[in-house]
Amino acid sequence: MLAYIVRRLWQMFPTLAGVVLLIFFLFNAVGGDPALVLAGKITNKEQIENIRKQLGVDQPYHVQLGYFAFEIATGFTCTYKSFTESKSPAPDAKGPAADAKAPEKKADNSTCQAVRSWATNEEVPKILTSRIGPTLTVMVPVLILETILGVILAIGVAYVRGTLTDRMIMMICTFAMSISFLVYIIVAQYYFGFKWGMFPVQGWTDSFWKNFTYYAPLPIMLAVFVGLAPALRLYRSFFLDEINHDYVRTARAKGLGEKTVMMKHVLRNAMIPILTNVGIALPGIFVGSFLLETFFSIPGLGREILVAVNRSDFPVIKAATVYLAMITMIINLAVDVAYKAVDPRVTFK
Amino acid sequence: MRFSVNGKTCLRWVAGLLSAFVFLSLPIASAAEKKVLRYAFRTAEDGFDPMKVYDRYSVGIIENIFEAPLTYDWLARPVKLIPQTVEAIPVPEDNGTRYTLRFKRGIYFADDPVFNGQRRELVAKDMEYSIRRFRDPANRSPYEWLFENKVLGLDELAEKAKKTGKFDYDTPVEGLKVLDKYTLQIKLKSPDYNFLYFLAMPNVVAVAREAIEKYKDDTMGHPVGTGPYMLKEWTRRSKIVLEKNPGYRGHVMSTEFADPNDPWDREAVKALAGKTLPLIDRVEIYPIEQEQPRYLAYINLEHDFLEETPFEFIEQVLPNGKLAPSLAKRNVSVFREEQMEFTYDLFNMDDPVLGGYSPDKIALRRAMVLAHDRGQEIDIIRRRQAIPAQSPVPPGVVGYDPKFNSSFYLDHNLARAKALLDMYGYVDRDGDGVREAPDGKPMVLTYKYNSGAQDQRQLAELWAKSLTEVGIKLDTVAVQFADMLKDKRVGKYQMASSAWIADYPDAQNFLQLYYGPNVEQSNEARFKLADYDKLYDKSLTLPDSPERNQVYREMNRLLLSYAPVRLGVHRIFSHLLYPWVKGYKKHPILFTSFRFLDVDTAAQKAATQ
Repeated sequence: MLAYIVRRLWQMFPTLAGVVLLIFFLFNAVGGDPALVLAGKITNKEQIENIRKQLGVDQPYHVQLGYFAFEIATGFTCTYKSFTESKSPAPDAKGPAADAKAPEKKADNSTCQAVRSWATNEEVPKILTSRIGPTLTVMVPVLILETILGVILAIGVAYVRGTLTDRMIMMICTFAMSISFLVYIIVAQYYFGFKWGMFPVQGWTDSFWKNFTYYAPLPIMLAVFVGLAPALRLYRSFFLDEINHDYVRTARAKGLGEKTVMMKHVLRNAMIPILTNVGIALPGIFVGSFLLETFFSIPGLGREILVAVNRSDFPVIKAATVYLAMITMIINLAVDVAYKAVDPRVTFK
Repeated sequence: MRFSVNGKTCLRWVAGLLSAFVFLSLPIASAAEKKVLRYAFRTAEDGFDPMKVYDRYSVGIIENIFEAPLTYDWLARPVKLIPQTVEAIPVPEDNGTRYTLRFKRGIYFADDPVFNGQRRELVAKDMEYSIRRFRDPANRSPYEWLFENKVLGLDELAEKAKKTGKFDYDTPVEGLKVLDKYTLQIKLKSPDYNFLYFLAMPNVVAVAREAIEKYKDDTMGHPVGTGPYMLKEWTRRSKIVLEKNPGYRGHVMSTEFADPNDPWDREAVKALAGKTLPLIDRVEIYPIEQEQPRYLAYINLEHDFLEETPFEFIEQVLPNGKLAPSLAKRNVSVFREEQMEFTYDLFNMDDPVLGGYSPDKIALRRAMVLAHDRGQEIDIIRRRQAIPAQSPVPPGVVGYDPKFNSSFYLDHNLARAKALLDMYGYVDRDGDGVREAPDGKPMVLTYKYNSGAQDQRQLAELWAKSLTEVGIKLDTVAVQFADMLKDKRVGKYQMASSAWIADYPDAQNFLQLYYGPNVEQSNEARFKLADYDKLYDKSLTLPDSPERNQVYREMNRLLLSYAPVRLGVHRIFSHLLYPWVKGYKKHPILFTSFRFLDVDTAAQKAATQ
């Protein structure tokens, strides 16, 4: 198992390199000119050029890519001027020169600093760490509730498969899924928050408990409600798949009760695809829902990324994307390892 | 040992305990009575380094933490400059090329560890340093243009910094002379009578060099100024808390220019006259980008006032132009403000189909302007919260001419539009209902708009619909904000939407949008007309006078004749206030009002609890 984990960890590097390349070329191909966004209302060409120079976006692509790789590896950025020209490749160079193999330059770390937001000058690692808390406060309960409720309801619906109840629930799920999340948010905020005063309309504080018990319940409830319909449909199909297998027939033939068959045999086997599905959804909790966060004034990562996109704040966008890619890979590995715990027949090769 | 208690002793004990309780509870009581004001910004702020930001919400905070040498009288309309940190408004010397700023004594920066427990007085050197910061390339100041090609010797310093990578803050500059501890002389390269307005901009403020140097890695988060408030708490893009600066000297609202016929002025005078401001101890600001939660937070009493009521809720707030009964019952009042701004649509003057100065191209643009139904724009899209612009210059701005009427050029008139097109050869040759260019080539125009704004999409649809009625085909293209900026800057568009908010209250700030040398800067229409440029150059040499107003009128006429833009509207914003907010009036140039407000805490408490 250890060898498997180590191998998988090694495989992450080329995957991450692919992600980095993709992000880099996507932003350069379709992203707006950040210098224009930062420049203000009245600026001339020279000032725009100065900003582009300071941001490093005037450099050839391979050099920019080198900067980007250096920033990911170290969390630091160095301005162009902080790289001193060197005729021979410096063996200890860890900066863009080493990555890009372009004009050889040596990093002068004394002038390097943490990667910062172009718009606010805030350190990007600080942005990520300070925004992750509010995001997780909402999204972790969402995932847990959605999974537990989804499994319980799905097993119940599978148990009464083919009945009117089953059909009605599936119809409601289809209907619920066809309405945009935005509509749920707007309507729920208006009625639950404002009209009936059951929840606050919006807000957030520094206190985790106040947030968790006062501000987060409505967004959590909404996200669970919206996520439940597709989860229920999907998990129901997993259970139905298992119900039709021979081992279930055998269990019934042995005289086991339907409840025991469902809970002991079907549930356990259906957990593999359910776990896969949770694994796919898991990275999403680390970026949150930008809709929920903007509507309920939750200072989370989703909202931050949205603001960053609107302002072409590439350091924040790039960091968030790389961070999400890394989390996705780690979670995928964790889910693969978890298969073993759920199903002892799984072996690592 | 026996301990006996008689009645008198008992009373003394009770009295003693009560006194102790009252004494101990005093600070708690006074803390509870702190005047707190809560409201929302429409957009998230970037930070509070005056030289590094330009978004209006960051600047709104800056104008409360720092102080510009000049500011505006709070009640005077049209706006009027008054001294803030200087003793008097500098008189333009040498034909408007020299300004001498004499700073008041006894103005102190807010306490900060950087001052090592000493009170730090504001001196002329601080302002000199601050002006230099605008030109330091490392700061990439969005307001660098204020001092670019303006102050003698400063351009050379900036050029040198670009070469060496380090801006020199110490070498004397001819245009910035500190004559004594409290006197700064600024020499300009050429006459500029609007320079005084620059000295009243909320970004043109004095900063302490030692504070900037100490917090150089995060000047956005460590503002140290001389203004009425200090930054107490900042959860970036989520919550901004300002508290009264205890070292602030206080200011008194002038009532000299109050209009006795204006009920808002009367209320402001009644609430604030003679009082040392600011009165509010703590201001909590929450950036909320979405309109519904911002509106609901106000209606739900979570906020004390709502600036710029979202247009989608205007029918609920002001049905048929009157305050909704539910709000009137709660004694909500509404302040209506015609902002110093205007919206417009650009025609790219370099475009081979639309642009150019030949009669046929002028006719095409003017016909399109006449075809556009501005009435529908105002009634449906703007929900009657706008007035039609007669020129680029909004009401209230120096140089605005209320008699200037451009309805002949701008009012919806399909018959005239069609006649103009027919006359210059834009006719439908193949009978498909769409006009071709005079040379017979198909003519399909494109209109770019910001994809992030709902009203922009509606405006684009109105354009397409209006032009269809005169037989012109228009495609609408939604682009992201950053791309839109770029496309407009480099002229990669045919038609595009735009808007301009006043930086300072002079027509020049709006008319520079069409000045030839400003192409690839603010002249997004790429309009280059020698006659217009000559008039603009002339206006720069003139102080505010009937002669200058005549020059502005001629420039406006040229704009209407050549039609490099379609003039849109001046929007009207509604600000809602609960009755416990006292003395409210919105200034057209200054962004925030809370340093001129009071809060009736008892009424606030009663309503919110």
